Amino acid sequence: MSWINKGTTGLILKLSPLMLPYLVLFCGGVFLTVCQSAGIFTPLPHAGRALDAYGLILSDPSFFASFGFSLGVALISAAGSVIAGTFLAYRVWQLPAKLANAALVYKIPLILPHISVAFVVLIFWSQSGILASLAHQLGLIQAMHQFPNVLYSGWGLGMILAYTLKGTPFAMLLVMALLVRFDVRQIQTAAMLGASGLRIFFTIVMPRLAPALHSSFIILFLYSFGAFDIPFVLSESRPGMLSIHVYNLYFKHDLARRPEAMAILTIMFCFAVIFIIAYTKIVTRLENTVRKL
Amino acid sequence: MIKKLTCLIFLLILPCLITLPSSAPAQSISNEPLLTLSFEQIQKQARGTLVRWYMYGGWAHVNAWVDTYVASEMKRRYDIDLKRVPMDAGVFINKLLTEKAAGKKKGTIDLLWINGENFKNAREAGLLFGPFSGRLPRVRQNVDPDSITYDFGYPVDGYEAPYGKAQFVFEYDTARTDTVPTTIDELKQWIKNNPGRFTYPQPPDFTGSAFVRHVFYAVTGGHEQYMAGWDPDLYKTNAPLLWDWLNEITPFLWQKGQTYPRDSAFLDTLFARGEVALGMSYHPPHAQNMIIQGSYPGTVKTFVLDDGSIFNTHFTAIPFNAPNQAGAMVLADFLISVDAQLSKFRPENWGDFPALDLDRLDPADRGRFNTIDLGPATLTPEQLAPVAVPEIPAPYLEALEQDWKTHVLDK
Repeated sequence: MSWINKGTTGLILKLSPLMLPYLVLFCGGVFLTVCQSAGIFTPLPHAGRALDAYGLILSDPSFFASFGFSLGVALISAAGSVIAGTFLAYRVWQLPAKLANAALVYKIPLILPHISVAFVVLIFWSQSGILASLAHQLGLIQAMHQFPNVLYSGWGLGMILAYTLKGTPFAMLLVMALLVRFDVRQIQTAAMLGASGLRIFFTIVMPRLAPALHSSFIILFLYSFGAFDIPFVLSESRPGMLSIHVYNLYFKHDLARRPEAMAILTIMFCFAVIFIIAYTKIVTRLENTVRKL
Repeated sequence: MIKKLTCLIFLLILPCLITLPSSAPAQSISNEPLLTLSFEQIQKQARGTLVRWYMYGGWAHVNAWVDTYVASEMKRRYDIDLKRVPMDAGVFINKLLTEKAAGKKKGTIDLLWINGENFKNAREAGLLFGPFSGRLPRVRQNVDPDSITYDFGYPVDGYEAPYGKAQFVFEYDTARTDTVPTTIDELKQWIKNNPGRFTYPQPPDFTGSAFVRHVFYAVTGGHEQYMAGWDPDLYKTNAPLLWDWLNEITPFLWQKGQTYPRDSAFLDTLFARGEVALGMSYHPPHAQNMIIQGSYPGTVKTFVLDDGSIFNTHFTAIPFNAPNQAGAMVLADFLISVDAQLSKFRPENWGDFPALDLDRLDPADRGRFNTIDLGPATLTPEQLAPVAVPEIPAPYLEALEQDWKTHVLDK
């Protein structure tokens, strides 16, 4: 038994150059956030009780509106990215080798920062943007303002567009990594036995891709749930995204409200952890049932 | 197994210990040794040093003025190197808070450009050095002490040196709009007659929040009642009048009030593109600056409402852990000098109004200010002074920004 312990300690020691910064910065940050949300170590002495900030937030209906809205935007854009990414990756994979190389352009949005993608969406989709003037030039609409009001529809369409644009190539990348190792003969066999294209995709290809689909969905979903840059450019005033709400509380309001900002961050962090646990549990259970069948 | 667990727990606790704030709660610093020196001695001490000035960096013309005029004059007159660091006030306040919590005695910031809520936050958290402004000869000589007693109703107590004055104005393009409203009531009617052509930046944006305060003053019977400080009962009785006014115009706003411009730069873009007919700014020369830059057409003019136009003073302050407090004092003193204020007042440089009391200057200097041509878009100090009303104490401001969200945005 003792050699195992020695091995673990050794391993921890060997990993420490990587682990320490991670632990200090990440765990330390989370620790301070939780403390400040309870009114400990706040810049100004906290007057009320420890959980006052949580009470304030949870009694505010606009918080739940923002929470639900952020959730919706994240869900739609993550699901959209994964679906589009999978479909495109599958199609690219089926292309002849020459064309497949050309299809590498899909990686371009990957290297663009989120904020640039936000501006791309803004420039293309606003009512005075490129698509509107194109439609006007082509005579599809009589005046620029007849172009659908995509960015200010109240549904967060601008953000969903930007996140999907950015997320699709990411999902493609993960899916492609699995596809290149996929044995084509399985598909050929299925086709010979008379399976339709759809059936091949859903029964043979999809189950192999599941790990990539799940991990890309979790990453994209949680990122768009909490990220700040795209909402900063594209979000509307109502309902606001949670990240913008936190930013305003943190930077633009009285210091006495610091615990509220930190409490929202803590709630978001707890939600992310619970989501990951619940998601993986459900996925494992589903896969077990499938295997039993 | 137990060893492993201990190891893990230790690793988890370690960062918490490291990030623990080390110092006690806020307390203001007094009896600074530097403040017992004469200003000549302070100037001597500052010679050959570097001053880092953290300031809002979103205005290219202001940045250029600091980098050229101020930097070269500081070098020539006092042998001080000036380094401008662009940073929003809310961000450098948080930087200082972290440094204070970490017990960092020597920071990186020497001078701040600050006022209002940020000053209040900084003072309450004990982030500022002072009182120093009474030690600056040009403040004593050129500034009316009554004009710098309060900053948004919070006592200045010498922790800030005045730097400039701003007043709220509306903007319109004479080529597109013939007549503009002259009172808040007319403004409401104008908005209803021109649906979709008006909006204001979303509070807590500085400019949008100021617009809301104008309406608050106008529909509740003037600013005087609020000057005595925070009165929750008064606020509770008066605020609904404001929400009614704002909610009445909401359906006639840009995007039917579904969404608001995030900040004043966004509103400027809408105004420049012609999506809205009225712009607004807390800086009287803003329109002229935009014309000089080519962002606005030359036909843009500014106007104020007879109900009042809020003005404020903006200041410079020195952090508690400024590495070069002597240099920062020399810079703060230079900024309020006649030469610097005059150069700042020129519209091609910035056009920011002087924080000096012109009556205290000798006639020759006063004449230099009076001969400056502010440009066709900017109202003169004589036009602005009669409608000038002071800023509201900070607790009202905080309450208005918070409740605007509840009663107008989320309604």
